[in-house]
Amino acid sequence: MVEVLIQDSSMLKVDKHYEEGLLDLAIKASKEILNDQLKIDALIVSNSYSEKTADQVLLSTKLANSLGINTLTFRIENGDASGGAAISTAYYMIKSGMIKTALVVGVEKLGDFPMHFVNDIISQNLDEKFSYREGLIPQSYSALRMKMYMKKYNVDYDYFTEWPYLMHKNGAENPYAFLRFQADKKTISTSQVVSDPLRLFDTSPRADGAAAILMTSDDVNLKTEGKVKIASITSANSEFNVLELPAVREAFNKTKDFKPEILEIHDSYSINAALILEEIGLEKGKSLSMLDSIQVNFSGGLKSRGYPGGATGIYQIAEEYMQLTEKFPGKRASGERGTVISTDELGTTSYIINLQRC
Amino acid sequence: MKVFPPQLWRNKETLYTLIAGKCNKCGNIVFPYQEFCNKCKSFNISKIKLSGKGTLISWTVAYQNRPGFEKTTPIYVGYIKLDEGIEIVAPLTDVDESNLKENSRVEATVRKLKSDSTNGLIEYGIKFRLV
Repeated sequence: MVEVLIQDSSMLKVDKHYEEGLLDLAIKASKEILNDQLKIDALIVSNSYSEKTADQVLLSTKLANSLGINTLTFRIENGDASGGAAISTAYYMIKSGMIKTALVVGVEKLGDFPMHFVNDIISQNLDEKFSYREGLIPQSYSALRMKMYMKKYNVDYDYFTEWPYLMHKNGAENPYAFLRFQADKKTISTSQVVSDPLRLFDTSPRADGAAAILMTSDDVNLKTEGKVKIASITSANSEFNVLELPAVREAFNKTKDFKPEILEIHDSYSINAALILEEIGLEKGKSLSMLDSIQVNFSGGLKSRGYPGGATGIYQIAEEYMQLTEKFPGKRASGERGTVISTDELGTTSYIINLQRC
Repeated sequence: MKVFPPQLWRNKETLYTLIAGKCNKCGNIVFPYQEFCNKCKSFNISKIKLSGKGTLISWTVAYQNRPGFEKTTPIYVGYIKLDEGIEIVAPLTDVDESNLKENSRVEATVRKLKSDSTNGLIEYGIKFRLV
């Protein structure tokens, strides 16, 4: 049976890279892990919004041409879960034995625009016939979730401050983080109201980023500094559900024996972090009071590391790879097994990617 | 140009009259309408017109917006259980916040959503108001 390894990764600091376009960022991330001896069988670009943010399509072919690679190329788009989808695609291709190496590059540019335009971009995640046309924004869906969670579990707003507080504490140590500062709970709880009761610190800053992963079959021997095995990948999807994330629960239940020691989860909103943690086993209504008991988002998560759209999942994988190979330059986690949970903005699709140190 | 007539025309049943699909096999209601039941996977679907009446389960006030919706910001958004049993997220209109209460009865009404410019095409859609 072919095993799938991650043999290298790279990432750029999530930021507003005004001087560089989508392709520039993708090249920068890619060149860190390419060399003359390496034969790439497939180049997969993970990106969600390029048509609207950069007026560009054909990204993977353009990137391949820029890198001088003549190979199988394509782009994977599944909203902000594109990263998980791209890694899954490469995994199954290598697992099948049809290819041996895949370069998976996540890239997104969301930092060029004012907030109301970014809202228009991310609102493309809503259904086109009604919700998008009606002028709704995903933040309102999360606000409704948060409000109903507060009522169901009898918690107040302060309960949610635990998440951005921890994320900024973690992210302050991550040199790749966009918002690399600590935030006190008063700053969080008095920040701008986006959609009541959802505040600015409950959302995640959209910005630019690019990250790359080198995936291979286990018979490809490269002189890299660490190897991590992809133990398994599962996925599921569901319709929007106010107080549950069935997509996360179902995907996680397919692989619950793995028992990860390190987690990177898609905390697009504080309420999503709570719901994800509860779907994978923490007590409902209390997960954000139990954060001391788990190793989660040592990167700073989407709140502090930043939220580069369809590149996010590739960042998560790169961060876990670096944690498991003891190369992460920020706060270090301990353990040999890590799980990445890559989802879309509202958690209607999920990819559970289990990683194990070789 | 921000408003494209074909996009509005093909969505007119959704945006003006709340047309949904009802599965003749299992009774599942899907809104917006589609020709397939996502519960029992049947193609035996009938178009039904939702009553537009329902109960307000929860609501939020959004202070951020999207291009074209500046004039109606802040936007009140309701989580509504329609009398047919399905739950939807939709804008509220004519809101006096002091009257917003859980389990308030609401009804659908057609309102302007946005326009291209002062003389441009106007996009209309459903919003909900307190009864």
